Amino acid sequence: MHIVATDREKAERVRASIPEKIGLEALTLVEDVFLSCMSDRELALLRFLRLGYRAGPVVLSMHGHPRVAPVLGAQRALLGEAHLYKGFTRFADYGGTLVGIIQPKNCVLPHLARHFALRYPNEDFLLYDKTYHLALSHRGHVLDLQPVDSLQLAPIDEREARYQALWKQFYRTIAIEGRENPRCRMTHLPKRYWAEMVEMRELF
Amino acid sequence: MDLMRKLAILTESAKYDAACTSSGASARQNRGDGIGSTIAAGCCHTFSADGRCVTLLKVLMSNECVYDCRYCVNRRSNEVERASFTPRELAELTLEFYRRNYIEGLFLSSGVCGSPDGTMERMIRTLELLRYDHRFYGYIHAKAIPGASPELVERMGLLADRLSVNIELPSEASLRLLAPHKTRAAILGPMAQIARTARQNRQELVRYRHTPVFAAAGQATQMIIGATPESDYQILRLAEGLYRKYALKRVFYSAYIPAVADSLLPTPDQKPPLLREHRLYQADFLLRQYHFAADEVLSAEHPHFSPYLDPKCSWALYHPQHFPVDVQTADYRTLLRVPGIGPKSARRILDARRAGSLSNADLGRMGVVLRRARYFILTRDQPTGVKLGREAIARALLDPAAFSHGAEQLSLFAPPRLEPAISGAAPTLPEAVEEVIASLPHPL
Ligand code: SF4
Repeated sequence: MHIVATDREKAERVRASIPEKIGLEALTLVEDVFLSCMSDRELALLRFLRLGYRAGPVVLSMHGHPRVAPVLGAQRALLGEAHLYKGFTRFADYGGTLVGIIQPKNCVLPHLARHFALRYPNEDFLLYDKTYHLALSHRGHVLDLQPVDSLQLAPIDEREARYQALWKQFYRTIAIEGRENPRCRMTHLPKRYWAEMVEMRELF
Repeated sequence: MDLMRKLAILTESAKYDAACTSSGASARQNRGDGIGSTIAAGCCHTFSADGRCVTLLKVLMSNECVYDCRYCVNRRSNEVERASFTPRELAELTLEFYRRNYIEGLFLSSGVCGSPDGTMERMIRTLELLRYDHRFYGYIHAKAIPGASPELVERMGLLADRLSVNIELPSEASLRLLAPHKTRAAILGPMAQIARTARQNRQELVRYRHTPVFAAAGQATQMIIGATPESDYQILRLAEGLYRKYALKRVFYSAYIPAVADSLLPTPDQKPPLLREHRLYQADFLLRQYHFAADEVLSAEHPHFSPYLDPKCSWALYHPQHFPVDVQTADYRTLLRVPGIGPKSARRILDARRAGSLSNADLGRMGVVLRRARYFILTRDQPTGVKLGREAIARALLDPAAFSHGAEQLSLFAPPRLEPAISGAAPTLPEAVEEVIASLPHPL
């Protein structure tokens, strides 16, 4: 393995050159791929950028190119997972603050911040990413993303327990007997999401 | 009755309704004074044991009903436990579920509790509590009750993102037979009204910015499949007509599940026609996203879907004169007709070919399903196409969904209307291939 020490100044120069030489979209792509869980993403990005400097903005259209397809794929995976978490995230009410935990493959919190801030403009909430040890917080209308080692939660209160029970009741009832299809459910909702979802936890 | 019991009853009686999407988001903007937002793409919050996406809190306001539709669990003559939410209860439940991110919003329907207008009033009260008292900006899909007065339909449309009326059954004759209290006019009347009001509303919105938005996500409908004798062709033609005439956003198909014994309906031991429902959704998708016409997919001579082939592959096999397609020059709609190429990969092809000619490997990396597409396209590595036996092509196009676990037995779904010769036992893969080949036109 070869380790390249970070040189801030050079890094900044490269960052500034990307929108100039390849376009703003390419910069977004690079940032997203850094957030993705692609293995050897630095190397893949290096190869992509070198091609990009030669080819210019058209590089983003080369969907089938062996240096472009993988990074586009990594970006799609990141955005795809972020989209899933817009639905699969579960919050619980802890004395007025909504708290949720996720365990994603990609680092999706930066892509969830705006979504949940718009959805709950008047709620205080905290969303903790167990994989990357990051917490997104929203307090008094202010959003913040901070590294956090771990999260200790008090037991839920009676009111919260009641809503969780109501939700589980709904979840159980909405399925149609005679159409059970565990394989189909597993395809759409893979097991790795279950642990943090109220209605799936007991099936886990 | 406590809320837990009510929720169980009113979910149980709502669950056969197929629609649960939140797509086609509203123009409602949270101005920071309330709770909620909508996303254009729609959003699944969980998947139930039957593999269906759960997006909305789908419940009935009440499962009491003065009508007696034969196919419905809530019909007057069926002995089931009855319950009704109060508007306040339901509004609070929706909000608390929404805060916890369980749902994207509410899908509210109802039995006819007393009168159509009385039922509508109660539903509207619930939506008013949500929208005005709680400043709820999440998604609401409401079902208009057939026979309700136009004023109430209009009021409901101003509160909901999507407003719909169920067409229930694919023909008027079936409706007369199984839902004697509902007339075609009582269903199509509100549907036409919704389409008209929405159209006027869009025009007013252009002129006056502060006009309240009427059902921004449009209207949808659903029909029950397999309870009555209509062919797939009839059903698809009906759907196509509804899309055109009433500017519907979606038609949903719901495989009939015999819930009670009734002399006019399939017996309770019959399996719901899931494969048929699946094929209808695929064909519906071809109408909405692939610019196909119903008459291209099926015809009076071939009124039923093949159990083995999805409708697009089926079309491709029967229309060899349209192939091969040159990926370097074909337009978007032509690319869309190639098996293995969908809207996303078609758009990528258009984009990518500006940067150079495309090989099979390039296409594979773009998400084209080469296993299917390669027989129908010209690319850099196959400038004159591929010549392969009919069997290989038919085999490549067989729909794996029709065969469980990739096994050689057709067993996952009850196949609808197979040829009499094989309707007894489930056919094996080689038998299916043979049948498909036998039905192919000659010049392939
Ligand atoms: S009106 Fe609706 S709820 Fe009542 S019996 Fe007919 S389908 Fe069922």
